[in-house]
Amino acid sequence: MEKVQTSRSFTVPIGPQHPALKEPEHFLITVDGEIVTKAVVRLGYAHRGVEKATESRNWVQNIYILERICGICSHIHATAYCLGVEKLAGVEVPPRAQAIRVLVAEMERIHSHLLWLGVAAHEAGFDTLFMYSWRDRETIMDLLESLSGNRVNYSVNLLGGVKFDVDDELARLIYDGIDFLEKRTQHYLDVVTSDAMFLQRTRGIGTMTRSQADVLGTVGPTARASNVYRDIRVEAPYGAYGDFPVKIVLDERGDLEARFVVRIKELFESYRVIREILDNLPAGELSTRMPRRIQEGETVSRVEAPRGELFYFIKSNGTDTPERIKVRTPTICNMMSVVKLAVGHQLADVPMIVVGIDPCFSCNDRMTVVDRGQGQRQGWTWEALRRYGIRHYQRLAR
Amino acid sequence: MASDIIKDLLVSLAAILFFPGGLFLLLCGLLYEWIDRKLLAQLQNRIGPRWFQPLADVIKLLAKEEVVPEEVDARLFIGLPIVALAGGLTAALYVPFAGLAPSHSFNGDLIVTIYLLSLLSLCLGLAGSNTLDRFSLVGATRTLTQLFSYEAPFLLALLGPAFAAGSWQIQEIATYTETRWLLLSQPLGFLVAVIGLMGKLELPPLDAPEAETEIVAGALTEYSGRGLAIFRLSKGVTLILGLTLIAAFYLGGVSNPAFFFLKTIALLLIIVGLKALFARLRIDQSVGLWWRYGTLLVLIQWLGMFLWGGVMT
Repeated sequence: MEKVQTSRSFTVPIGPQHPALKEPEHFLITVDGEIVTKAVVRLGYAHRGVEKATESRNWVQNIYILERICGICSHIHATAYCLGVEKLAGVEVPPRAQAIRVLVAEMERIHSHLLWLGVAAHEAGFDTLFMYSWRDRETIMDLLESLSGNRVNYSVNLLGGVKFDVDDELARLIYDGIDFLEKRTQHYLDVVTSDAMFLQRTRGIGTMTRSQADVLGTVGPTARASNVYRDIRVEAPYGAYGDFPVKIVLDERGDLEARFVVRIKELFESYRVIREILDNLPAGELSTRMPRRIQEGETVSRVEAPRGELFYFIKSNGTDTPERIKVRTPTICNMMSVVKLAVGHQLADVPMIVVGIDPCFSCNDRMTVVDRGQGQRQGWTWEALRRYGIRHYQRLAR
Repeated sequence: MASDIIKDLLVSLAAILFFPGGLFLLLCGLLYEWIDRKLLAQLQNRIGPRWFQPLADVIKLLAKEEVVPEEVDARLFIGLPIVALAGGLTAALYVPFAGLAPSHSFNGDLIVTIYLLSLLSLCLGLAGSNTLDRFSLVGATRTLTQLFSYEAPFLLALLGPAFAAGSWQIQEIATYTETRWLLLSQPLGFLVAVIGLMGKLELPPLDAPEAETEIVAGALTEYSGRGLAIFRLSKGVTLILGLTLIAAFYLGGVSNPAFFFLKTIALLLIIVGLKALFARLRIDQSVGLWWRYGTLLVLIQWLGMFLWGGVMT
């Protein structure tokens, strides 16, 4: 362990292993007494080489691997990928499949936001809210399981459609579950906006102004809580969002309370969209034929994950494997805001500010090779990357 | 003659080691810890531990290796938990426990007891600042900060009944309150005393000194094995003694063993309810709570008592 400096200010390491973090990440917080004077983040503890791995697998296998980038928003990754590949191949997906994709995406948003609510309450030491919101989250997990057979990685998507249909019985189950959750969500909204003790931990904490949110490039609910009009579902509707439009949820305050309010209000919007989809589910096929080789070209696919904009760049060279897939997850866009906002707050607020962006660390780890002007172009093979990763983590462990 | 002395000695030893002090107190502490954990779990929609879980935890911890970190004073590191437990057990001698009269009693033992109970926080603070671990250091600072903020209101809240009884001897106060529910005449003092006990034990929402999501386990981060077990035991002892004192002073006495358990457990229910209801306060907020509201409430209580005393005479 490093020695503590003799001056009043010293550094508190939050992570890579720390009870506040559910995944490995390293925040080095310099505090003067209890006040944070500097915050540094070090990413890269859970790099898995997913992008590289996709280059040696075919288009179909990649759905499986990309769905596992995130354990919470798994469906949206597969959706972004499938939408991109279908665009490249010029395939028209049946409307029923698009609607079911959006249905599952909104159910996933509900499960993600309820999960976040619990985690955030736990960071504030409000374990009762944590337990209650996770209990209610089981409702949506059960619904997802009865739809797809899985609680986490639903594998609903296919290239060219979806695997699972929604029949009347299942629709009734979903209606019932949504009705129950809507009541509970109203209760949680009341709690986070009126519980005086909880408000002491959220109101006016980690305030990000609109211009800050713009400059820091934040996305998703974090940006919307600072009144930034940024929601891919609204700005560039994909899938069935054109037929089932979403209303954007904004808040002007930009503090932690606003982030709670925005996420909880988005739940109501999700409930509404799910009901609308179930009411007007288009009839027709679930999937269409996809070519095994995708014609040469490149495309960009943007979707709104529960945490914000998810960006896929897909390049095909005309074979059955992609030339390059680049993923940008929302957490990496929001991460800088944490480091910026933490300064000046108390140490006790740091976990709350970290969790306020709803971070998903293993999604955001990237590896970059910096070439200091030597002009060498170096291609990494999957095997080389794997060996490098093993060496890297062995070095870290020492 | 000699046999009488030996008999007396044996009886006192048994009183200190087994009943009502010593072992019995420790086991009661574990029982109350279980009630606390089980109830909190039920309130939070969880199942909660089985009845022997706190005991199993202690046995497991005692069986584990105790890691003494580098660059700490090993004697302090090992000694502090023992001092904390000893403080709690010594305080038990002056407290009317389980319906029995305290085994020792002298004028002014209330103050001694309160200070012995504070040894726990003090030892926690010292244990935290003894290590180089930054979580421990922050935790120790917060523990001591909290000690300085809750201690004065807590003391004043316990002195209210002493003032009413006209004595600083726990036994005499307990006899005085046997027929009177001071909760009715000193509600503010009762409130401050209960919350003061929560502050002393670092229970939520006053658990900033051991806020898991910020500083891991606060002052106890480096403790494992025996030291941690003893600290936990002394928290149990402090909990039960604090409950006893408040029940004896404010809830109409504890001379009947059945009433003792009934009243202390009822008090525990209130504390668990408060634990479940609130989000954690930051350390500056809890200090503010104590000095801005806690102390003020007790002082209002005292003012009321003086005025009432003036009116009556």
